[in-house]
Amino acid sequence: MAQRLIHRGPDDGGVHVDPSSGVAIGARRLSIIDIEGGHQPLSNEDGTVWAALNGEIYNYPRLRRQLLGRGHQLTTQCDTEVLVHLYEDFGADLVHALEGMFAFVIWDSRREELVLARDRFGEKPLFYDTTAGELSFASELSALQAAGERGDIDALAVTGLLTLGYVPGPRTMYERVRQLPAGHVLRWPLAEQRATITRYWEMPPSASANTASLEVLVDETEDLLDRSVRSRLVADVPVGVLLSGGLDSTLVAALARRHTTDLKTFTVAYDSGVVNEDAPARVTSELLGSDHHELRLGASWIAEHVPALLSTLDQPIADPAFVALTAISQLAREQVTVVVGGEGADELFFGYPRYRWLARAQRLGRVVPPAPAHLAANLARRAAGGARAGRLADVLQPASPLLRNLGWITDGLLADRAGFYGPRMQDGGDRDDLRALVSELWGHGTGSALNASRLDQRLYLCDDILQKADRASMSMSLEMRTPFLERTLAEFSATVAPEIHMAGGGKNLLRRVLRRVLPAAGTGRKKTAFRVPVADWLRGPLAASVDEHVLHGRLVRDGWIEPAAGTHLVGRLATEDGAARELWPLFCVGTWLDAQA
Amino acid sequence: MTSPRVLLATPDFPPMPGGIQLLLAQLVRHAAWETTVVCFADEGADATTADLPAQVVRVPRARDHRRSIARLAVATAREIRRRRPDLVVSGHLVLAPAVVAVTRRPRAATVQFVYAKELAQRRRVVRQVLARIDATIAISDYSRNLALAAGAPRERLHLVLPGGGIDAPAPAQTLAREPTVVTVARLEDRYKGFDVVMRAMPLVRAEVHDARWVVVGNGSLRAELESTARHWGLGGYVSFLGAVDDATRDGVLRRSSVFVMPSRVPAGRGEGEGFGIVYLEAGAAGLPVVAADEGGATSAVLDGVTGLLCDPRDHVAVADRIVRLLTDPQLARRLGEAGYERQRELSWERMAREVDAVVRSLIAR
Repeated sequence: MAQRLIHRGPDDGGVHVDPSSGVAIGARRLSIIDIEGGHQPLSNEDGTVWAALNGEIYNYPRLRRQLLGRGHQLTTQCDTEVLVHLYEDFGADLVHALEGMFAFVIWDSRREELVLARDRFGEKPLFYDTTAGELSFASELSALQAAGERGDIDALAVTGLLTLGYVPGPRTMYERVRQLPAGHVLRWPLAEQRATITRYWEMPPSASANTASLEVLVDETEDLLDRSVRSRLVADVPVGVLLSGGLDSTLVAALARRHTTDLKTFTVAYDSGVVNEDAPARVTSELLGSDHHELRLGASWIAEHVPALLSTLDQPIADPAFVALTAISQLAREQVTVVVGGEGADELFFGYPRYRWLARAQRLGRVVPPAPAHLAANLARRAAGGARAGRLADVLQPASPLLRNLGWITDGLLADRAGFYGPRMQDGGDRDDLRALVSELWGHGTGSALNASRLDQRLYLCDDILQKADRASMSMSLEMRTPFLERTLAEFSATVAPEIHMAGGGKNLLRRVLRRVLPAAGTGRKKTAFRVPVADWLRGPLAASVDEHVLHGRLVRDGWIEPAAGTHLVGRLATEDGAARELWPLFCVGTWLDAQA
Repeated sequence: MTSPRVLLATPDFPPMPGGIQLLLAQLVRHAAWETTVVCFADEGADATTADLPAQVVRVPRARDHRRSIARLAVATAREIRRRRPDLVVSGHLVLAPAVVAVTRRPRAATVQFVYAKELAQRRRVVRQVLARIDATIAISDYSRNLALAAGAPRERLHLVLPGGGIDAPAPAQTLAREPTVVTVARLEDRYKGFDVVMRAMPLVRAEVHDARWVVVGNGSLRAELESTARHWGLGGYVSFLGAVDDATRDGVLRRSSVFVMPSRVPAGRGEGEGFGIVYLEAGAAGLPVVAADEGGATSAVLDGVTGLLCDPRDHVAVADRIVRLLTDPQLARRLGEAGYERQRELSWERMAREVDAVVRSLIAR
């Protein structure tokens, strides 16, 4: 199994087998701290507790000092070792002491129990399978498959991919495999042969009680983010910053600049397409005086690499930014082993315009009765074209906040699509299940913007953004760290009212911090989604692959979609870029399915 | 010398709760002065200050804070002109400009109390005012450093630690105690570290299975804290008692094992705990203390003597100190006893004596 994960840890590997119980733990290691001493799995003094860790515990130096003060004997400088000794003191409650991104397993031979845990936001993946009365687990689905039978493809996962663009956890591409949700612990007492899964953390309910002045809130944000960035720069290997030129990564880079003289920044640019992010990134790098590296993604790179990328993924990710992120990871890996990025800022600090639109809709709904609102929506829809007019019509249209938001995050693709789904998906049950899954995660607050941001934290951030970042970076043996997801910073963000976050176009606090830290950086820039020229790729360098995997592959053969659906979309794509929104997921899923023998 | 005639002007005075309020009332009670207090008229005023050896002039509040302060400043000026005191004590920097202006002619000596937060605001005004005040009294090393940074002349800056504690006999050591962690504070300021204790409690419970956290005090943060506790599944062992009278509070303290309040110094501002009289009150109940290794608490709590200090942002460190005190009764007793002795030494009488010495030296000039 561990051999399937060598890309995640090319430097070292190890296995511990407990002969009496038959428990085996394997690990691969990407050496970042204590390069010589961190062989995994490792154990306590008497070999009764073993641990393997994927990820990074940022507060391990403090934890280590504290453990030494409590009389523990630690022999390495490696963060995995603190897990073993924390477990001796706190048992499975050790998770409460950890700050970082992690998925780990601990084997307690005295209690004959396995303990698995995943970090608070789901930065590191953890898959498991308990069918057949045994527990097997791994950081990627592919390693788990190596252990046993594959089982059936989960139709809900496919539905998620074709509408949301990702597999919604805890589901996976295989029916028998689950992901441990973020902020959860799984215990497997050997005697019981049954998993107990408990949540150990979630974002505190937003009380919006922080009455401090805006200046004080900005002070606090700057202080917490600065501490977080500093903790994420700790490594015995070179560290860089992935710079998109947007607010979040610029802010991270500017704070990183305070703590390091040798800052390397990396960005990606497209040879074709609408939004080209290279210019702002270059300007930022000049302001920071960083050693800047730029990658231009051309048609030949896309044609050569994308099909292989999609087919080797452990499960599909239909977010086009995954391609760019992988390319930039490859570039960065030539110079550094660790990068920091701006992930999580939009979800925690209300960066998406959708939140403001939801708040507007809620305000409108309070004053305008349904019938006139319905009429106004129809008028707006007919009056003018453009995305903004469409948004306005959506806002006017009376709907529950949950359904309005669901419509927006799926671009309406959850609706019935006549002639689209094949026999395996035709009854629509999986679409209902997906709706139910989303409703469960919808917050219980009174504000729809707040509820939507909470949903995004648990779904989009966890299952798309962070999975994408993990797979893209780890496929290149690069570690990616995310300062915005530091626990105290995240919890602090929840104390601030959404209205304060959303003022001035969203991410109010972060924009104000940047204005202090790097006044020359333009903070008035409107948010431009990381728009990848997918339509150009699908029409150009990937056209042949589309033909193979969407029109003639398992996607059609196995009855996921109707044969005509793909043909129709390819036809539309010739004249309409928007068709790429529907075609790209089909291409990703199709390519992946065809790679599964 | 006969009793000096002192006028104390302050926006903070009982019956409003809080450390500054308590300190100034105790000063009036224990200093052998002929005192006039100019303060706000708040509900319940007469009951709490009826037996104070002072004339209390109460000024009704206006509709907002700024106007209220202006009104109090005007009243202070009027009373100074009318009563011609030997010396004016300003209980808060916000009144200092008025005090300085009115005491120039005829001349009266001036004393200014400084704490923490106010020294970081309106820095230019603070610098000018402190240059004209005859003596500035800081209540902790932290507060003294903030005053120096704000431009207070070193030779006119005095350090007088508050008193504290409760007029109570030494706590009975035989009192059986549940493993209870207690915090007494108004639930208004985030810097007091409620969030950090909340994060620490699951770790405390992992080692001391029946440990509880009791929070005494009320304020705007209460709803948020209660809801987070429920949300995180701590509801069963965290209780918020709200505001209670002094006797009830003392009873809770005496039934507790460890007092915890890891007040941090917030980023970018000289705020946080000016001193923390409540740490001495915990000492009066014989409780060992867990507090921050920064801010005013470092003057109130002696590390390793009356309590354990640690990084107030590190919930694992806070949990570690709490557990150490819950699981080592000898250590807890030693620190608790030292805390009791210290609060007796730092009595209100002692504080009043030290302030009185400053006052008399100014009048004698």
